[in-house]
Parts: sequence; structure tokens; C-alpha cells
Amino acid sequence: MVRSLRFFVAFTTLVGLVLAACSAPAQTTQPTAVPQPAPADATPVRIGSKNFTEAILVAEMYALALEDAGIRVERKFNLGATPVAHTALVNGEIDLYPEYTSTGLLEVLKQAPIADARGILEAVRKGYEEQFQVTWLEPSPFNNTNALAMTRQRAEELGIRTYSDLVAHSGDLKLGGPPEFPEREDTKGLMAAYGFDPKFIEENFVQLDTGALRYEALTKGDIDVVVAFGTDGQINGLGLALLEDDKNYYPIYQIAPVIRQDALAANPQIAETLNRLAPLLTNDVMSGLNWQVDGPEKKEIADVARTFLQQQGFIK
Amino acid sequence: MIDLLLDAYQYFLANQSRFWTAATQHLWISSAALAISIAAGLPLGIWTAHEARIGQWTINLFGALRLAPSLAVLFLVQPYLGIGTMPALVALTLLAVPPVLIATYAGIRAVDRGVSEAARGMGMTAGQILWRVELPLALPSIVGGVRTAAVEVIASATLAAFIGGGGLGIFITRGYALFDTRIMLVGAIPVALLALMAELSLGWMQRRLASGLDAAT
Repeated sequence: MVRSLRFFVAFTTLVGLVLAACSAPAQTTQPTAVPQPAPADATPVRIGSKNFTEAILVAEMYALALEDAGIRVERKFNLGATPVAHTALVNGEIDLYPEYTSTGLLEVLKQAPIADARGILEAVRKGYEEQFQVTWLEPSPFNNTNALAMTRQRAEELGIRTYSDLVAHSGDLKLGGPPEFPEREDTKGLMAAYGFDPKFIEENFVQLDTGALRYEALTKGDIDVVVAFGTDGQINGLGLALLEDDKNYYPIYQIAPVIRQDALAANPQIAETLNRLAPLLTNDVMSGLNWQVDGPEKKEIADVARTFLQQQGFIK
Repeated sequence: MIDLLLDAYQYFLANQSRFWTAATQHLWISSAALAISIAAGLPLGIWTAHEARIGQWTINLFGALRLAPSLAVLFLVQPYLGIGTMPALVALTLLAVPPVLIATYAGIRAVDRGVSEAARGMGMTAGQILWRVELPLALPSIVGGVRTAAVEVIASATLAAFIGGGGLGIFITRGYALFDTRIMLVGAIPVALLALMAELSLGWMQRRLASGLDAAT
């Protein structure tokens, strides 16, 4: 009995270890290129990211840029949705991660939406500094706002170009989106602003956890409308029709590094480096890079980030 | 903690129609997977128990199947079966067959050789031995296998939510995505209760059957 128990414990431990080894995400491996030597006593800057392609891509670019500037980094990517990454930052488990301006404003600070990009940035800077001792560095120009998309064929068939056109069909079209979509405050606001049929986010909402599944379901015709983001590679890659938010309901979502003030004070060079990187990331650049990862080429995120920064002459 | 449960209850009250739709989907998909696994696992278990050479090999094969993570199975079958309940049903059935099969096999193999020899000596046919001797004696073990399968299926049916299959898992993934524990609990508590109910009722049945056998022998 004792022997079999001991065997059981040893065996399950072994299986657990094997599984843990297999499930470790590939993105956390250190790049093969040798980073610049850093002072041996320096603690590495821990960079986190949320759990989708664009977030990991941008975080990897931050990491490469800092390594190129001679700063040691530790990658802690793919942490989950906003609350997970934000909690890790505030608790000091990571030092910085890329976050979207309006996400910080609406989801973290729980403030009302603001229409202009400058106003949003001022509000989140103020709120984060007061509440969390966290600084927002300069944002990139691209706007990854919420969007609704359809296949071009289906959109033309129904004569839908804008959200207002969609309203008449919202009771009988299937919408596919991420799990949180129906619960989000901005979604409820959107429904009210346009007068969508409530069924659209209730019975006719199909919850699909990953972008890959959502676009596959859309191209197969399992769903009619997909919850997308402005810089999704699939929009150009699959030639989808991005519906026009004709009442300009959705706010602007620009990405920027959010960094703990003590980490920045220990390493002031971080701000200068990442602020130089920010302007490179435009809408076209970002959706192109996303497509290299999510599209048929299925390139590794680390390779895509490195190649792009080298082509731009940003890193060696 | 009490506040949290009250919050979860409030959310449940505000979203009742959504909740009952999800709960119905969850029960339907679990029951269907369990029914298919009994329909497949029971005859296969009887057959392997009687075919000594192939038996061990089949059992090992299905034992290995249990190691396949359900989520991986979901994503593997998804390109062929699309989204929704179908791929989830396939993954759950693959999960539920092995316990039923292995319990049937073990139950029949455990029947005393003397008993089945005696039955043959009395002139029973192979079919009669199966129905009147082996299956009744193996029944507690089989019910135990169904119990294991039921609990695993009810718990794992939460994964259906990942691929548009609905079920109570939608509240768990939503709660996680929003970092909202009350929404998570609206999914997690009913799943835990369902699993517990399956465990207790089938466990009770298993014990009843076993004690009935003891009394009879």
C-alpha cells in the first residue's frame, strides 16, 4: 500500500513535470542572438504582456529595443486579459507591459470614455500615477479600436456598410466574439447608442475564445458578424469588410508602455528607448505584422518582431 | 465570502434566461456524451474481457486515450467539425469511454472462474452466462466506471465554451476575462453541484448493488 502510494506520488509528479515542460509557451524562450552584455549586478527589467498576438508582438519589440540598448530583460508574456496583467504590474511581479489607452481609462480606472486621443492620455497618466505609481510612456499612433466585420460577400448581399445598416438585421444575424464582449460596459453602450436588438449579444451571440476560431467561424459561415479589432491582420489578409462606426461610438485605443515608477527611476534609459520606438507602429504596420503571425505564414512572434526592427534600422 | 456569493446570486437573478440556456446546454452535452460512451464502452468492455489476448492491448490503448488533454482534442477536431456542440461532444465522448470500458472489463474479469464454470456445467449458453452471471456480478464495477465518467464529463463540459459550444463554461471564461469572480461562480458552483450529485447518486447505487450481491452470495 505504502509502496504503491509512493509510486503514485512519484509518477504523478513526473507526469506533472513533463506536462509543465511541454506546455511552457515558446515565446518565453530567450532570443538566440546574444544581447549586449549588461552590468552583472543589474536586475533584469521584467516585461509582461496580455494574451493575444498584438500584445505579445509589441511586448517583444519593447524587449528587443531594451536589449539593444544594453538593458537586461526578462520576458513574462501571455499573462491573460487586462486585469491579470494589470494586477501583476501593481503587485510588482512585472515592471512594464504594453496597454491600450482607453482600456486603462474604461476598464482599469472605470472612468467615462473621452473622445480625443490627447485627452485620454492625460486622464490615464493622472489616474495611474495617483492610484498605482505607474507611468504611461509615449503611445504609438495606431488605433486598435473595437470593430465589427463581415465577409465582403455577406455584407454586400445584405447591403450593410455601417453599424446603422446593421441594426435592421441585428435580430437575426449571428455574432461571434470573445467571452467578455456581451458583459462589457462599452458593448452595452454601443447597443443603446445604435438601438441594436438585444438578441445580438444574447441568444445569437456565439462565444469563441480565440481570434483564430472567430475568423474561421466567419469564413465558414457559422457566424455572420465578428467582433474584430482595427489592426487585426485578418481584415486585410482575408479581405473582410470592416463596418463603419458611423456614430463614432468607439473610443481610441492606442498602445503604450505602462511602467512602474520605481522601475523607471532605476533605469531612466527605458523611457528614452521606448519613446523612440513608439512612432514606428502605425495601423498599416501593425496589421501587417499581425498577419505574418496569424495568417497562413504562421511566423514566430519573436522572429517577426526582430526582423521588423532590423529592417527599420532600430536594432542591430 | 458571503458578499461574493450574494453578488453571484444577484448576477444569476439578472441573467436567468442566459443561465438556464447554458445549464440546459451543459446537461444535454454531458448526458449525450455519457450515453454514447456507455453504448460504446459496455459492449467493447464485454468483448475485450472475453478475448484475453486482444483485451489487455485494447485496454492499454484506451487507457492512453485518457491522457489526451480534452482541450487539445477540441482544437484538433475543430477544423473538421466546425464550432459549436459537435466537437465538444466528440472530445467529451473520448474522455468518457475509457472509464466505462475499463470498469466493464475489470468487472467481468473479476468474476470467479468457478462460478462461470459451474454455470456452463449446468448447461447455460455463453449468452445466458453473460446475462445471468457475469453482468449481474460485474454491475457494481460498471456503475463505478459510469460514475467516474459522469463526474469527468460534467467537469470537462465547461471546455465547450471555448469553441462556441455554450454550456456553463461561458460564465467561467467570461468571469476570467473580466476578472469578475461573481460571474465565474455562477458557472463554477452549478458545475461543482452537478458533479457532486452525479458522484453521490451513482456512488449510492454502486454500494446498493455491491451489498445486494454480498447478501445474495
